[in-house]
Amino acid sequence: MPGFDSIEQLRDAFTAQRYLMDEGLATVVFLAQRLRKPLLVEGEPGVGKTELAKALAAASGAPLIRLQCYEGIDVHHALYDWDYPRQLLQLRAGGSAPLYSEEFLVRRPLLEALAQPGSVLLIDELDRADDEFEAFLLEFLSDFQVTIPEVGVIRAEEPPAVVITSNRTRDLHEALKRRCLYHWIDHPDLRREVAIARARLPGVSERLAEQVCAFVQDLRWLDLYRSPGVGETLDWVEAFHTLGREEIDAATADRTLGTLLKERDDLERIRGKGLEALVERAEERAAELPQDGASSGAA
Amino acid sequence: MELRVGLPDRRTGSPADGDRSPGAAAPAAGAEADERPPDQAILAASVAFARALRELGLAVSVDSELVFFSALAELDVRKQADVYWGAHAAFVHTPDERAVFDTVFERFWAGDPMTLPQRGAEHGESDARMGGAQHGGEALPQFQHEGKAASAVDGDKQRATRDIPSAEGDQGASNQQRGVLAAWSARETVDDRQRLEYNHDELAALRKLAEDIKRAAPLRRSRRCRPARGGHRLDVRRTLRDSMTTDGEAFRLSYTAPRPRPRRLLFLCDVSGSMERYSRVLLASLKAAVGAARRAEAFVFATRLTRVTRSLDGHDLERALEQARATVPDWSGGTRIGGALADFNRTYGRRGFARGAIVLVVSDGWDRGDPELLAGEVRRLQLQARRLVWLNPRPMGLDQQPLAIGMRAAMPFVDDFVPGHDPRAVAGLAQLIGDLGGQRPQRRPVRAAVGGA
Repeated sequence: MPGFDSIEQLRDAFTAQRYLMDEGLATVVFLAQRLRKPLLVEGEPGVGKTELAKALAAASGAPLIRLQCYEGIDVHHALYDWDYPRQLLQLRAGGSAPLYSEEFLVRRPLLEALAQPGSVLLIDELDRADDEFEAFLLEFLSDFQVTIPEVGVIRAEEPPAVVITSNRTRDLHEALKRRCLYHWIDHPDLRREVAIARARLPGVSERLAEQVCAFVQDLRWLDLYRSPGVGETLDWVEAFHTLGREEIDAATADRTLGTLLKERDDLERIRGKGLEALVERAEERAAELPQDGASSGAA
Repeated sequence: MELRVGLPDRRTGSPADGDRSPGAAAPAAGAEADERPPDQAILAASVAFARALRELGLAVSVDSELVFFSALAELDVRKQADVYWGAHAAFVHTPDERAVFDTVFERFWAGDPMTLPQRGAEHGESDARMGGAQHGGEALPQFQHEGKAASAVDGDKQRATRDIPSAEGDQGASNQQRGVLAAWSARETVDDRQRLEYNHDELAALRKLAEDIKRAAPLRRSRRCRPARGGHRLDVRRTLRDSMTTDGEAFRLSYTAPRPRPRRLLFLCDVSGSMERYSRVLLASLKAAVGAARRAEAFVFATRLTRVTRSLDGHDLERALEQARATVPDWSGGTRIGGALADFNRTYGRRGFARGAIVLVVSDGWDRGDPELLAGEVRRLQLQARRLVWLNPRPMGLDQQPLAIGMRAAMPFVDDFVPGHDPRAVAGLAQLIGDLGGQRPQRRPVRAAVGGA
């Protein structure tokens, strides 16, 4: 994986992948890459934790290997397994190749990440896996090597860049956190969110993007049960755009609100508050933003 | 093997470390060395910085310090933002620690001596170190509102009154006051209040309770399988693997069955004034449950919610209890059940703490808040829980309805209501958990509109 020489360079490379990061995140990603430490990112759903790993892979031209964690995940799903049917065939055919050799090894994501030099390994939603798996991972992350009894030690020529995400449904083990660099990703501020919307949805009018983002920013202060993430903002912008709107209006907002809010209580609350007032405020805030160029360049 | 590159070098303060950072570190060190403070000074300041963080309750390990030192070698130490984020990545491990970190970092950057800062009093964060780091300022509703109201939408008055229920009136004011005082004062005040003492017999009873709960905890089927003779799913891999010993003939079929795991137990206990005579024992029971069931979570509330799982999770029974007790600022305070449950739903609940869990609420249902708010939050909690159980020390009224208004409001959304349960009858708790079982309770579909949510 080609490295980044400075934080600015890293940020530009990410921007080229249409992933706009703030200073803090850029610094941490830069450090993770330099110090060869796994990066543990947490944050509200929809702030772009998984996207970060994807963008990192794309920006550094490395293959992305993803391990989605779930309850009950074990070594055979994460690391390696033997291809028993093929071994059996080999046995029956009377072949001479040793049965427990790399030939019959099925590589799962972690092993794959060791085998492919300079890859980006995304361990997604680690909090969903059980404690036992976390303990196993701890070992893997500290040495980047794996012992398979029949084959021997497999070591990474160049350790992968590791991004771990967690939704904090449970506390991760302290020992794991100690080995990682930690970063909490916040929702982007208004300018950055507008910049993200414009980068991701190039066909959309600037006004619309600004107004929708201003609207969503306000919602995030309301302590809803489920605050909309960036992904939902993008969906909402797209919804307006698809319906042929150039700017936000209360009637359309009302009809498409389900794109943004997915809890009945939240929907009722926002509707009860009066969409007109919210829309009006969003329009005002959007109008205060500096025009073009400045907003996208800053992020 | 490259993982720990050059750490010893950096400890002695030489940033120009050979093998993979020549581009960044070397020229900077060469050309502008005179502009930088000497490495030794940086090192000393960093060590003091880490120590100050540790004193304020952050879990700063030697590993984190080493990470920070090596980060400094990669960064431009003259840029505040770079150093800030480098230190942040190394030392901060949960978002709740950020307030404390920011305060200390300011001092570090300004070159101030690393004496104990004013415990972040200006943030109302003084219990970030007391509350097992979970709580930070988030449980202080009054501060939450100050921050948010400023930028919230105009005409948002409706919401401001929702979280501080209107019915609170007189009593509410003093409760709020109490919360502030408790949060602002340091640990000493907590120690001043009556200590929880447990005698020998009680401690023994608690150990027994822990054992009983371990045995009684309902199981659920996990997705992990184990080999089982009576299982129903054919374990193809195992069968094939075994067949290799018999030259590829599968003589013996192996089966698997889902491995049972204990279901998560979630306790939400009322420790307000009206529950005072039970709360001492309640806390002890929580300790037993947390120690017994690996996936138990314990919260207590009076005017606000406190997570005590972590402080209870220790080997020394008495110390754990004392510690947990110290983290609860509103012990024997007023009651806002609705508000506390709303806190839970919004923070931990949203992160899935109650999903699939057996939720046990222990409260007498005397709520000074808005009954509608309470009903709405209990309903929300029920929707997430596998089973919502409410243990109420008070008996039913003559009409077979609970006496407290709050309790009546919550009743429709409770799967199992256990009136007249005295938490002091410690052994009863394990029995009760055992009797519950893990089955999904029969529930009627939720009515279209509930309260004024």
